[in-house]
Amino acid sequence: MSSKTKAVKAAAPGKKTPLAAKIFLGIVGLYLLVPFLTTLVYSLFVEWTDVLPSGFTLRNYAELFTNSTFWFSIGRTLILCLVSVAITIVLLLLAMYVVVAVNRRLGRFMQFVCMIPYALQGVILSIGIISLYTGTGTILSNRMFMLFGAYTILVLPYIYQGIRNALNAIDANMLIQAAEMLGCGRFRAYVQVVLPNIVSGILVSSLLAESIVFGDFVLANNIAGTNYQNIQVFLQANMARSSGLSSAIVVVIFLVVAAVTAVVLKLQHTSQKQ
Amino acid sequence: MAYIEFKDVVKRFGDNTVLDHISFGIQQGDLVTLLGPSGCGKSTLLRCLSGLETVTEGKIVLDGRDVTNVPASKRNIGMVFQQYSLFPNMTVEQNVAFGLKMKKVDPATIERKVAEAIAMVELSGKEKAYPSSLSGGQQQRAALARSIVTEPAVLLLDEPLSAIDAKLRKALQSRIREIHQELGLTTIFVTHDQDEAMVMSDVIQLFHSGRIEQAGSPVEVYTSPVSEFAASFIGSYNQLSASDFTALTGVPVPQGNVVAIRPETIGISRERPDEKDAHLVDGTVVDSTPRGNVLRYTVRLEGGTTVFVDVLFRSFHMFDRGNKVYLSLPERDCLVIPVNAASARTAA
Repeated sequence: MSSKTKAVKAAAPGKKTPLAAKIFLGIVGLYLLVPFLTTLVYSLFVEWTDVLPSGFTLRNYAELFTNSTFWFSIGRTLILCLVSVAITIVLLLLAMYVVVAVNRRLGRFMQFVCMIPYALQGVILSIGIISLYTGTGTILSNRMFMLFGAYTILVLPYIYQGIRNALNAIDANMLIQAAEMLGCGRFRAYVQVVLPNIVSGILVSSLLAESIVFGDFVLANNIAGTNYQNIQVFLQANMARSSGLSSAIVVVIFLVVAAVTAVVLKLQHTSQKQ
Repeated sequence: MAYIEFKDVVKRFGDNTVLDHISFGIQQGDLVTLLGPSGCGKSTLLRCLSGLETVTEGKIVLDGRDVTNVPASKRNIGMVFQQYSLFPNMTVEQNVAFGLKMKKVDPATIERKVAEAIAMVELSGKEKAYPSSLSGGQQQRAALARSIVTEPAVLLLDEPLSAIDAKLRKALQSRIREIHQELGLTTIFVTHDQDEAMVMSDVIQLFHSGRIEQAGSPVEVYTSPVSEFAASFIGSYNQLSASDFTALTGVPVPQGNVVAIRPETIGISRERPDEKDAHLVDGTVVDSTPRGNVLRYTVRLEGGTTVFVDVLFRSFHMFDRGNKVYLSLPERDCLVIPVNAASARTAA
């Protein structure tokens, strides 16, 4: 059973999804899958110059999976995702503690600051970071750390929105006050009472952030290029070589993102059940 | 010396003075209600006592200890909020145990006290339930159990029943009153509902515009309002201006006062009654409204003034619209009270 169907059943127990809705969902799902399926088919055939493709092959995948550069690119991209998203979550949770429990007026300032990255083009952000930190001789002049920093900024608005909405949904300030009246300090209340209730919101926003980092080419190419090659830069480097191979790379990227999404959704489901 | 003392407490938010030099004391074991309309400062005073708000000026003393600048978590005060504020990720049992865990009470004692508190609020069987699966009344009872289980020095209830339907509210009012009597806990109850205040309280502190308008037992406040505001907020008093009352009865009333008369003290009859010690006026019934076991007539008097008259709802003795009637206003129930300054400002 798909997660969508489960969600519908959970929302309206005992009611069946109408057939028309199922058909509509099926059509939309198929439409959204068309680009992926076409790419998958393209990556599995020798050539596709006529109406139908010809010559089934797994050569592209064999070549890809035996290429260590590919695996390193995948690994680097996952590390970039995890580290930058984790840094953003920790920084935002600390900042939002101040907003929720100490000074609520700072909320508007936080919102303004966190929305700025929306307006930043990737090229501008990458050039800005490079010109600021290159040659400073600090750890921040390292291209890898620059990339971590850049992604931390890039995902800031998405994770901020998720955390803020989750905090508003549970009326975090009121929960902290209730915990305070029971002898609990504010920060402890934030950690013990508020955070467990916004895990779901954090996971969903980190999922969105993860897909953004996975799909980025501009920042990775401008800041690190082949010094710290991520999967999109690897894809770009191989596009000219073989269209079949690049299709296989796209398919694998899709499957990796889908796998990460599945894990996060599973975690979310578990936390909701708890 | 009082158990809780508010000494000249002032609270300002910017230029807005919410509490204006509040001073009064609360005796240990009393159930005191802070009553007043929205925005009068009653909840703010409660939050100042709890430590969730700081006071701008003045002092709060609890059991001989100045707690004005003590953090909320160190005051040993229990509080039930209007929005329940149960922790959504914890079961009823875990919610109730939270305060005891903060106090580092041993697990066996926690288990015993939690069970007792849950039984006291009649939630046995719901220990493992999460707040989302409870009704509003059950959630509020769980919040009450969570607040009393730590045996606080004072229990604060901030409009805890305002989001609950009327029938359940009455049942919970009784249960809170019973628990207060069982535990002997000093309790402060905030409400804007005068009926609730009458049912619950040992003492009512009536708030108006950041000040205490009147304090006393429910009977005192109900029968002897000290100002026009108190009369209008408590008991649906009829209020006649000095000139109207003089024109109707011939009795002179000093300007700057109103005459307040409770609707249930006014007699109503078709024939002119032969009553001593009462002012007789005639009028016309313009409306009648059943209010449970009481029927409320709206009667227009000479000069156009209307008054309410409450009588027991007896079907054999009813008046129709347009009936000419005589009203008797007992002299001792015609209270001459000053127009309070705040109301005069509003009217102006």
